[in-house]
Amino acid sequence: MLLQQILNGLTAGSVYALVALGYTMIYGILGLINFAQGELYMAGAFAAVLLLSAYEVNFFLAFLFGMGVAALVGVTLERVAFRPLRGAHPLVPLISAIGASILMQSLALLLFGPTDRAFPVQFEFATVDVAGIPISTLQGAIFGSAVFFMTLLVLFVKYTRFGKAIMATAQDQDTARLMGINVDRMISLTFLIGSALSGAAGIMMAIYYNATYPRMGLLPGLKAFSAAILGGVGNIPGAIVGGLILGVAENLGAAYLSSGYKDAVAFAILIVVLLLRPRGLLGGRGH
Amino acid sequence: MTEYFLHLAIISSFYIILALSLNLIIGYCGQVSLGHAAFYGIGAYTSALITIHWGAPFLLGLVLAVLVAALFGLGLGIPTLRIRDDYLAIVTLGFGIIVDLVLLNLEVTGGPDGLTRIPPPDLFGLNFRFKGNYLTLVMFCVLAVLLLVYRLVHSRHGRALKAIRDHEVTARVMGINTAAYKIAIFTLSAGMAGLAGSLYAHYITFINPESFGLHTSILILTMVVLGGMGSILGSVVGAGILTILPEMLRRFADYQDLAYGGLLIAMLIWRPQGLLGVGKVSQKFILPKGKKGT
Amino acid sequence: MLTLKSVHSYYGSLHVLKGVSLHVRQGEIVTLLGANGAGKTTTLKTISGLLRPRKGMIEFLGEDISRLGAEQIVQRGIAHVPEGRRVFSTLSVTANLELGAFARSDHKAVKKDLEDLQERFPILRERARQPAGTLSGGEQQVLAMARALMARPKLLLLDEPSMGLAPRLVKQVFEIIARLRETGATILLIEQNARVALKVADRGYVMETGSISLDGTAAELMDHNEVKRAYLGKGYQEVWE
Repeated sequence: MLLQQILNGLTAGSVYALVALGYTMIYGILGLINFAQGELYMAGAFAAVLLLSAYEVNFFLAFLFGMGVAALVGVTLERVAFRPLRGAHPLVPLISAIGASILMQSLALLLFGPTDRAFPVQFEFATVDVAGIPISTLQGAIFGSAVFFMTLLVLFVKYTRFGKAIMATAQDQDTARLMGINVDRMISLTFLIGSALSGAAGIMMAIYYNATYPRMGLLPGLKAFSAAILGGVGNIPGAIVGGLILGVAENLGAAYLSSGYKDAVAFAILIVVLLLRPRGLLGGRGH
Repeated sequence: MTEYFLHLAIISSFYIILALSLNLIIGYCGQVSLGHAAFYGIGAYTSALITIHWGAPFLLGLVLAVLVAALFGLGLGIPTLRIRDDYLAIVTLGFGIIVDLVLLNLEVTGGPDGLTRIPPPDLFGLNFRFKGNYLTLVMFCVLAVLLLVYRLVHSRHGRALKAIRDHEVTARVMGINTAAYKIAIFTLSAGMAGLAGSLYAHYITFINPESFGLHTSILILTMVVLGGMGSILGSVVGAGILTILPEMLRRFADYQDLAYGGLLIAMLIWRPQGLLGVGKVSQKFILPKGKKGT
Repeated sequence: MLTLKSVHSYYGSLHVLKGVSLHVRQGEIVTLLGANGAGKTTTLKTISGLLRPRKGMIEFLGEDISRLGAEQIVQRGIAHVPEGRRVFSTLSVTANLELGAFARSDHKAVKKDLEDLQERFPILRERARQPAGTLSGGEQQVLAMARALMARPKLLLLDEPSMGLAPRLVKQVFEIIARLRETGATILLIEQNARVALKVADRGYVMETGSISLDGTAAELMDHNEVKRAYLGKGYQEVWE
């Protein structure tokens, strides 16, 4: 029972971690809390679901399409709602991001309606026994894919030219420009990557819960933000650890305290962490 | 028809109080509360519960609503001392969601169904089911709040608040106790939202958590941004417009949220000082000239 | 090579450069002297494109670069080592050097330049994988200068390379500058320590409140009464040497 709950928590937590990475990277480079991150998650899920319902395409192609659409929406969002506000007090783009979030939610509501959509592809998932604990292969697949994407991101940031340029821009924009780095392009690239990861997370959850709907990104988005803060905003390993801790804590809380307060656990942890360690568990950078 | 206009005026008044109270935090503390509807809800539920269950008089309900909401504001105001402005916004948001969940899950608050048969006010033997009387009561409260805010902003404390908002470090050097001021504003603002909640509960006579969620918090925020962050009159106008306009445009109700979202972004980009905030808004919120588009 | 003609720059509404004119010829080391707040750093920032001049012209190798952004100007061959070194502290020493060559696309040559620099400054090899923030101040200065050289600049802008360094390290940094001079590098140098700067420079300019008040060869400036009194005085010497 306990182990089962921890496994459920790790599954959800790995998805929070993916979204949290987007938050953390965007905060790192712009000092902006992208409140609309959850809507990118929703956009990715809808894009994949709609494509799969309309055409007989390969699942992986639809997955990539969903990530691509989320990335496109994210890059556009930065252009329209954040770039004109660069240099203003941090609360200004935050409010703009809130505006973008409700705008996208209501747009999805108008376009796709309020009802849940089932995931158009049925997967055959088995339950395997690992050391006496039943594990669903679906959970395994979600956790595995999340770890795959996180590894990809860490490798990208550490070992590629553009990855390093993003880190440099996040640290010191002026000096990055002196190296010949185009800061605007790095910010777009960051939005592209962060949004694609959130889109992937959205698709995974659309499969896990078999439901895609306009407000699906709201709570996971906010929880992922809590995860990012928990790990220290701007800190990439921190976002991953924060996401996993949050997922597990939430499931344990629901199982042993009260299921009605499941969604409150993340925010209670957030408030306590911010009070005790304002820079997160692993320490982030101030911007 | 008159009934309908009276109704609109009363509803606008609740939002005027809410917008003014949020504006105190945004415009004069330079911080954002994204859980403001939670204070509104706490006020509404406090007042409703004690008048329903204990048969307490309306006035006691109203006073307790203000006090309990203010107490929560105090509790939430303390973290402002330790964390950054934008993190605080998320903390208030998390607080709003927790309050929403508590209201949904507690037995005493009636869960998702909420509370019904909240008694109308019992003051001076007047019949407050008559909307004209209720409007008088509400207008009295609005005027009291306006007066309080106006006096506060134009007092010695108001100048201290402005100093904190615009130059926090300088203010501290000048010996202004910035921490105490910020907490005081949070507390006061929450109390005002609690007042609006009590007035709302006894007017509508049935409440459920739906009215006090994130959506309402964002609506209040939009009113403040539209009217002008830091402008008293702006909050009145912003609240008025965003209560009356949606009523007039009922046919387009589906597009309401879309419009709020667009409005927030558009205002910040093209008119960050709001409709009426000219010259009064915090320098903090306006883009430094020449830095645009760097 | 580089010519500034009555350049005006602002920080927001603050008028900092009030018509600066100067030039740097190929192969020269030119130093910019002046008190704090005279506008020396602003001049360098305006040249490298971090600030855009409101008025005036900046010509580099026959091209007007006053409307270009910093990331384009570095591609034209101007590398700027900013005040306070500004290494990317969480990135490794090698990553810092690689970023210095970000604008270049000749990857093989970049690799060779990296090895050459590691040869010349062994510390860069010893600490290759360490985060740059863990280096000492002097080591960070070496890294910042090497990072700028990775761009294969035609003109190097150095802003206070000796700032905050122990006298022994100041000497080292200026040895590097002297060596660069032998390889034919062109350098525009800001330095608090006027005596050391004039020793290494060919010519110099003195800035006062946003414009050039004096110019001449290094020897002329060294002998100039005004310069002696303001920048080479006894008190000054004690602080710096």
